[in-house]
Amino acid sequence: MSQVFNRRKIKFNQKNKQQQDDKLNSNPLYPNLDQNLEVLHSLYKDCSDVVFRSFVIADQTKAQLIYIKGMSNIEEVDSNVLTPLMQKADQNSINPKVLIEQRLSVAEVTRIESFDACIDQLSIGNPILLLEGDQQGFALGLSKWEKRAVEEPTGELVVRGPREGFIESAEVNTSLLRRKIKSPQLKMKTLKVGRYTQTTIMITYIEDLSDETLIEEISQRIKRIDIDGILESGYIEELIQDNSYSPFPQVLVTERPDTAVSNLLEGRVVIIVDGTPFVLVAPTTFYSLFQSGEDYYHHFMIATATRWLRFLFLFISLLLPSLYIAIITYHQEMVPTTLLLTMADSREAVPFPALVEALIMEITFEGLREAGLRLPKQVGAAVSIVGALVIGQAAVDAGLVSDHMVMVVALTGIASFTIPRYNIAIPFRMLRFPIMLLAGTFGLVGIMMGLLAILTHMSTLRSFGVPYLSPMAPMKGRDMKDTLMRAPLWKLNTRPHLTGEYNKYRQDSDQKPSPDKGSEGE
Amino acid sequence: MIEKGKISALQMGIMMYHAIIATGILFIPSTVYEAAKQDIWISPIWACPLGLLSVYIAYKLHKLYPNHTIIQYSEHILGTFLGKVLGLVLLLLLYTSVSVMIWQYGEFVVSEFLPHTPKFVIIGMMVLLCAFAVHGGLEVIGRLAEMVVPVFFLLFLIIIILLLPDIEIKRMLPVMENGMMPSVKGSVALYTWFAQFGIIYFFLPFLTNREKGMKSGMFSVLVVTLTLMFTNIIVILVFGSVTENFNAPLMSATRYISIAEFLSHLEALVMAIWLAGTFIKICVFYYAVVLGTAQWLNLSNYRSLVLPVGFLIGVFAMQAFLNSAEAAEHFRLVSQGLMDTLVYGTMIPMFLFFVAYIRKLRIFKQRGERER
Amino acid sequence: MRCMKVIGLIGIILFLLTGCWDRKETNDLWIVTGVGLDQPKDGEVEVTVEIPSPSGNEGGGTGGEGNQAGGNETILQTGKGVSIPKAIEDLETKLPREILWSHTEAIVINKELAETGIREELDFFIRHPEPRLRSYVFISEGSAKEIMALLPPMERSSSEVLIELAKSEVLMKVTLFDLLEMLKGESGASILPMIDKLPPEEGKQPLETIAYINRSAILKQGRMIGTINDRLTRGVLWFRNEIKESTVTVKPEEADGLISMNLMKGRTNLIPKIDGNQLKMTVKVETVDDVIQNKTKWDLKKMKKHKMLEKELAQKIEMRLTDTLEMVQKEMEVDILDFAEEFRRKHPDKWKGIKADWKEIFPTVKVIFDIEASVLRTGQGNVP
Repeated sequence: MSQVFNRRKIKFNQKNKQQQDDKLNSNPLYPNLDQNLEVLHSLYKDCSDVVFRSFVIADQTKAQLIYIKGMSNIEEVDSNVLTPLMQKADQNSINPKVLIEQRLSVAEVTRIESFDACIDQLSIGNPILLLEGDQQGFALGLSKWEKRAVEEPTGELVVRGPREGFIESAEVNTSLLRRKIKSPQLKMKTLKVGRYTQTTIMITYIEDLSDETLIEEISQRIKRIDIDGILESGYIEELIQDNSYSPFPQVLVTERPDTAVSNLLEGRVVIIVDGTPFVLVAPTTFYSLFQSGEDYYHHFMIATATRWLRFLFLFISLLLPSLYIAIITYHQEMVPTTLLLTMADSREAVPFPALVEALIMEITFEGLREAGLRLPKQVGAAVSIVGALVIGQAAVDAGLVSDHMVMVVALTGIASFTIPRYNIAIPFRMLRFPIMLLAGTFGLVGIMMGLLAILTHMSTLRSFGVPYLSPMAPMKGRDMKDTLMRAPLWKLNTRPHLTGEYNKYRQDSDQKPSPDKGSEGE
Repeated sequence: MIEKGKISALQMGIMMYHAIIATGILFIPSTVYEAAKQDIWISPIWACPLGLLSVYIAYKLHKLYPNHTIIQYSEHILGTFLGKVLGLVLLLLLYTSVSVMIWQYGEFVVSEFLPHTPKFVIIGMMVLLCAFAVHGGLEVIGRLAEMVVPVFFLLFLIIIILLLPDIEIKRMLPVMENGMMPSVKGSVALYTWFAQFGIIYFFLPFLTNREKGMKSGMFSVLVVTLTLMFTNIIVILVFGSVTENFNAPLMSATRYISIAEFLSHLEALVMAIWLAGTFIKICVFYYAVVLGTAQWLNLSNYRSLVLPVGFLIGVFAMQAFLNSAEAAEHFRLVSQGLMDTLVYGTMIPMFLFFVAYIRKLRIFKQRGERER
Repeated sequence: MRCMKVIGLIGIILFLLTGCWDRKETNDLWIVTGVGLDQPKDGEVEVTVEIPSPSGNEGGGTGGEGNQAGGNETILQTGKGVSIPKAIEDLETKLPREILWSHTEAIVINKELAETGIREELDFFIRHPEPRLRSYVFISEGSAKEIMALLPPMERSSSEVLIELAKSEVLMKVTLFDLLEMLKGESGASILPMIDKLPPEEGKQPLETIAYINRSAILKQGRMIGTINDRLTRGVLWFRNEIKESTVTVKPEEADGLISMNLMKGRTNLIPKIDGNQLKMTVKVETVDDVIQNKTKWDLKKMKKHKMLEKELAQKIEMRLTDTLEMVQKEMEVDILDFAEEFRRKHPDKWKGIKADWKEIFPTVKVIFDIEASVLRTGQGNVP
């Protein structure tokens, strides 16, 4: 029966699409129940979790119920499927199909015609009902497995905003989206990727808001994936992004339904991957990675100030150690005399050059952070104590580092936590080191060179056809309202332009509240 | 077409702005001061028309041959052989010009910041960085220019604000002490910069909104003029007659800033905007050279030329001048009117334009005769 | 992509080949805060540098406290040579670390050296990229080395005292840039603060004192030709519109005591005028003062007395200005009052004719005073 799986080996592309459809239909169920069972038994050989239960419908028709243990709701199967069907028939000869329609109190019943569909349904937990003499089976929507409750996402905490987050189940995730967007224009396309895992991937978008070609491009890229398994959305991200040799994330990752919805409303596409709470949003730009959902829930002035703070701290997290190195070893004239004297004093006993000192401390800090992430919670406290000692006064007293360096490292560490998304903070943490080396060799000139190199690289990036640095470069004046600042909601009349044609206006233009407006009736 | 990317007219304008102003704000004040004294801020006004003329001619030529750069239409206008010869002359001028720019950059970094670092490393770094950007294509350079421009203006504004406590209006007076002539003479040195606007003939065919090409080019010229005026005014107000003692007066001026003890020695700000601007300037010219060479050789792709050309201009830049005296002699000659930029930026396009115009007239005439 | 890889490779190679050519660790630097220039004998320059000693407490890496505790821990070192660079070369052989010039904020030039000319010596400080244009320049009565060697009781070093004194702007404050501008100016005259050692208090070590600014040195074409005292210096400051601090004490004739006033605002406008061959300069002074002490029985709240007081004040200022003028214009014949610049600015055409003979013409310039003094506040109340 290996031919059932052979179809996976065929590349999904436009040319083979017809062929693929043929193949799907070429494994139809047999009219004979025993024959069907034989095939299924051989497929699920040595699968002790698959249960085959044969029974007789109304004393007449032989039937077989197949399900996977732990994935289906057994009580419901008992009470709503087996009990009514096994009752004696009122009439003598009755069509089992009619009987099923009359008696089966299950909401979701799908007809299946092939073994492939059979396997698909089984693996998502739906019990299968096969009848003697029928070439069609029934998939009963009674899947039920253990899943986490909808909780507050731990990676993206907000002070104000909904406290729900995506979970591992794609179904629940889509329902979370649907609960927020009631319009039927919210569309979801389902794809299956992974030779063995057969992971469900849903491309969700809002019709008329998203560019058709963009959706087509995204589905093409996902369909092109031929891999044995998809365990997390990271797999998809890495396999569909435009430039693989870039440390910068070209897809936004979020755990929050409200973030996903706001992106959908901007015409972006959300990719939900079954088995992970992290959904992907594409296309994305550099600036949107610095937006947090909360920006839109707070007053716009506060949100704008917060954004500036984030950008400031982004630069601090990227540049502070390098600036320190450059200034202390190349541009001493920039430090006020008194400060320079104290700095020189505290460095007097340090045996390393400033660059080495900074590297030691930064690497130590990164190590501590990583350790803090991975360690079990009980040990975490110990790490922070040790960490405080390592990069604290003890290190200074030991003459390994200077006072100022400790401050620099601590501030850099804090700064890298202010960035709302983990995946954009990482490249900057990483790029800090080459820039430190540049600063140690060329001083400020080196830092500037490093920054220009990063900027050049970012200019070459595109995320699904959208320039990474837009709307700053290429400049789109209208879209600037929501990048460096967050304009008041009544000003955000237009959607950001991504690619191609787009639905430009998101709201009526005259929304600024004012006391005169309500008085029309008076 | 050889370049697939497109830039907007605005991006082109910004690119040209950086290409002119990057070195301009540093070196123009002291260069012009020699002739114009305290009237250096008037000189940009006299030089501005040359920039406008360069843009105008480049745009007119572009109108005649909308999809071609100068290397291509010179063949159309002058015939294959003469066109190639003219193209070669143009390219050679551009090669030397970009080499001199890189030399200037290297010299400045070495003399101001890193006196002991070997020059080849500093030049090599810059050429590599530019190669990286040029390899990305015109789009990338355009975007880079756009990203840098707000930073540029912000830092420029900060510098001016911080210098305000040190200015003294007295130093600018008397305006036009010796009539108009000194400032006009000073503006001759500025032609070197303004003539470079002609280089837009390499970018006009790749605009998304071509009809705006001239407008944004002209606008760029005007903004350059204004920026130079502002720079010169602030320099003269801060330094007065001492201006000529400094190699790069704006740099020295920011070095002179001292507010509340802590805000002092801010030359890093100038260094940052100058370095970013120079980077874009070199990218623009480097790209023009690479594209021109590829078109001259009828290649289908210019990207393979990026590294060889980079190597070439890097080596040229290393060998440009033997010592600073020779360089000073060169720049003195240039500032007196013997300038290469004027040739490739204004004269060659003007020549081509006239030839094309005359030929067109003749074609019309012939056609008219035939019709008769 | 291949191209990118090559670019990356070359970049890495370039990077790995590099050392750190210009790296200067702070532990390898002597931070110079003050420089003294002396002339031990003709044709020789002695450079004295003052360096705050790093890390006062031995061996401690804790930093921070070390330098503040001691108060006056500085190292002095001198070098000699025919020129400043030569002297510095000599100096460097005696110092185990590299010298960092960028924090040199006080430059003290010895009187003898100033008398032979400072233009050439200053050239070094301008050409060198490190020293600040904002460094303060002083001329010392005695040897500059001695000034640098002082151990001031309250500040960290002698140069810091000088810097603070200059900043207070009681008398002349001249930075390297100001000096440069003066040397370049039309008149060719410059004025510099003159410092001297304050006699130490009794019972203290001879070095435990500070230097203070008490006079001003007048330079002509970069050569020192004389000095003026503090009172005349303030007069010069009035002329140059640089007056910031001044206390005027008047003794009205009808009154029986002194009234002291403190300057709040002082503004001077020089208005040049050319009448045929006669050059005229109107000195327009506007000043606002506050009364700080009233030893008379005058009730200053009365309008009449107030007016009288203002008149007294104007007279007093005019007297000071006339005295200054007498000294500077008639006796020394140096145009440190910037008259030349003013004439050039207002009458550029006529100036061309005057310029060559300015030296002869300057003493003949007629100066007219127009002083507008007002007393703003008369204090909270009077002592009954």
